[in-house]
Amino acid sequence: MTTRDPTIPPPRRLKPWNAVERGLARVGISGRMLVLLAPVLWLLVFFLIPLAVVFGISLANKQFGRPPYTPLLTTDEGTVQLTLHLNNYIRLFTDNLYVAAYLSSIRIAAIATVITLLVGYPMAYAIARSSDRWRNILLMLVILPFFTSFLLRVYALTGFMRGNGVINQFIGLFGFEPLVMMQTDFAVYVGIVYTYLPFMILPLYTTLVKLDVSLFEASADLGARPIHTFLFITLPLSLPGVIAGSMLVFIPAIGEFVIPSLLGGPETLMIGRVLWDEFFTNTNWPRAAAVACAMLVVVVVPIMLLQKAQGAVVEK
Amino acid sequence: MAKRPQLAIDTRPWRDTANNKPFVRIRNVTKKFGDVSAVHEVSLDIYRSELFCLLGGSGSGKSTLLRMLAGFENPTSGTIEIDGQDMTEVPPYNRPVNMMFQSYALFPHMSVEQNIAYGLKRDGLPRAEIAARVAELLALVKLQDYGKRKPHQLSGGQRQRVALARALAKRPKLLLLDEPLGALDKKLREETQFELVKIQEQLGVTFIVVTHDQEEAMTLATRIGVMNQGEIAMIGEPTDIYEFPNSRFVANFIGSANMVEGVVTEDEPDHVRIRSTELGCDIYVGHGVDCAPDQLLWWAIRPEKMALSREKPEGLHGANVATGVVEEIAYLGDISVYQIVLESGKRLRVSQTNTVRGNPDAITWEEQVYVTWGIDAGSVLTV
Repeated sequence: MTTRDPTIPPPRRLKPWNAVERGLARVGISGRMLVLLAPVLWLLVFFLIPLAVVFGISLANKQFGRPPYTPLLTTDEGTVQLTLHLNNYIRLFTDNLYVAAYLSSIRIAAIATVITLLVGYPMAYAIARSSDRWRNILLMLVILPFFTSFLLRVYALTGFMRGNGVINQFIGLFGFEPLVMMQTDFAVYVGIVYTYLPFMILPLYTTLVKLDVSLFEASADLGARPIHTFLFITLPLSLPGVIAGSMLVFIPAIGEFVIPSLLGGPETLMIGRVLWDEFFTNTNWPRAAAVACAMLVVVVVPIMLLQKAQGAVVEK
Repeated sequence: MAKRPQLAIDTRPWRDTANNKPFVRIRNVTKKFGDVSAVHEVSLDIYRSELFCLLGGSGSGKSTLLRMLAGFENPTSGTIEIDGQDMTEVPPYNRPVNMMFQSYALFPHMSVEQNIAYGLKRDGLPRAEIAARVAELLALVKLQDYGKRKPHQLSGGQRQRVALARALAKRPKLLLLDEPLGALDKKLREETQFELVKIQEQLGVTFIVVTHDQEEAMTLATRIGVMNQGEIAMIGEPTDIYEFPNSRFVANFIGSANMVEGVVTEDEPDHVRIRSTELGCDIYVGHGVDCAPDQLLWWAIRPEKMALSREKPEGLHGANVATGVVEEIAYLGDISVYQIVLESGKRLRVSQTNTVRGNPDAITWEEQVYVTWGIDAGSVLTV
């Protein structure tokens, strides 16, 4: 090894970025801020501004014309008038349709989430405990449906469940009467569970795969039968995954529109469909906007509760 | 440091196999993972209240053997008996065995108390009894004030003690410990070694300890089973293993040893003479060895069994004196280890106790010295 003469200074490296950095620092912008700026701008332009527009429309009144709602700001002889109509929101509470639709959406989403959890948990567990070689194949199979459009997959389900569909033809071979599956809540549950299953499996898988196998062994060693090991060790420790997966299924399921309208019957009442009808059938944009804003509140509250619960679990 | 019992014969049942029934019997156990034998034809008897150490490098099969005792792995062939009961078909949760895991495997979502109580709750003991037992165990491992804490709020040493308390909670007949001190730093490890031995003697539980640390094994064990490539290389008390290794592997694995090759020139019932070109002298061994004239064999000697001198000592039977030059000296405080180069190029490690403070007359670098040893100082090895 050669030792360098300490009196000779080390070779200088040119750092062109240093100049840029110094320049930006002079106007008070650090690299850290630049990195944060991109998502902030994105959210501002594509989320917050449109949301504000929708909220604005929800405070207008329906009118015929283009746009089909009254302007919030009007100028009248040099004075600017701000007119806010709250009747759309009042209507949400007075008209039973909306309250019923919200409650029904939450109920359907909750039941579908529980079914998805019951179906997804064993699958996630099996993937997490499989050998390395199998694990990647199984995970790939979970993600594979995403390669096809969501809409196509829901349409494909009708092919399975309709009167002369695959399932009825199959059970017909054994002499069974055809089952009525389409246009029922059953079909909606099948649709939601099928399409949202990967969102349940993946977070469950990530928490389960991280669990140290020696914890299960320690539990068995201390005399716990497999069912007790699951109830007292596996389940509590996978709670963060259960919460995350349930959140990822429950929240979009509340506002689901495609599944109930393609698979559900006339009695399947969900807020997404009500919204669609207000917007396109009744052309009542302000009412539709009010429904959307109220839905946001309905969805945000459980998110906050769940996140709080998850925070508590993580803290433990 | 394992206390030597006063009535040796009573507490060393392995010395009297005719009258003592082994507590754990491992018979011809083989475990294969695919085509690889992790454990191969191992037979081992362990007696009640023993502190038995399975010592071996990584991949020697010691952990697999322990996991088969706990029931996490099933032997491919062979049987395991604990207290006269065949364990082959018994699942882990029905075995009278508890294990302390290398990673401790404490349940992170439970407090120290809940961790210790876990096994007792599974047995459906009444609440008051569980509480009393937990308090007793916390006192045993000196963690009375930490019962409400979660494992992540404890230090490594405290976690180790919780794991020990949890494993002892159900009063197992047999406790398995997988590298129990592996995760502790050196000082804590030395303290904990004493405590572990104390607890083991106090409770009389049979311990089987897996370790790769030979010092740990020597300190803890009543007997050691040295494992190599899935097989037991030697079973014996720590002194047997160190002083009378049965093979080159054991001699090299335990402590440090100088190993030389030699040819038998005299094979008498009361002595053997071995010619070693590596040493540049003959080796006179004061006891008979099962060998033939002209047989090639190995002779191993520990560094502390040899002496250095500047003057040529009187050779014993015209043998046991090698000549060399001091190449390196490692001063360790209590002892100094000298590396001597012999004329053949063979290097010997010789350790000398530093009995004189700051000895100005100590043998130093580049000096020519004579290395000597007693007639029974080394071990003759044929395998």
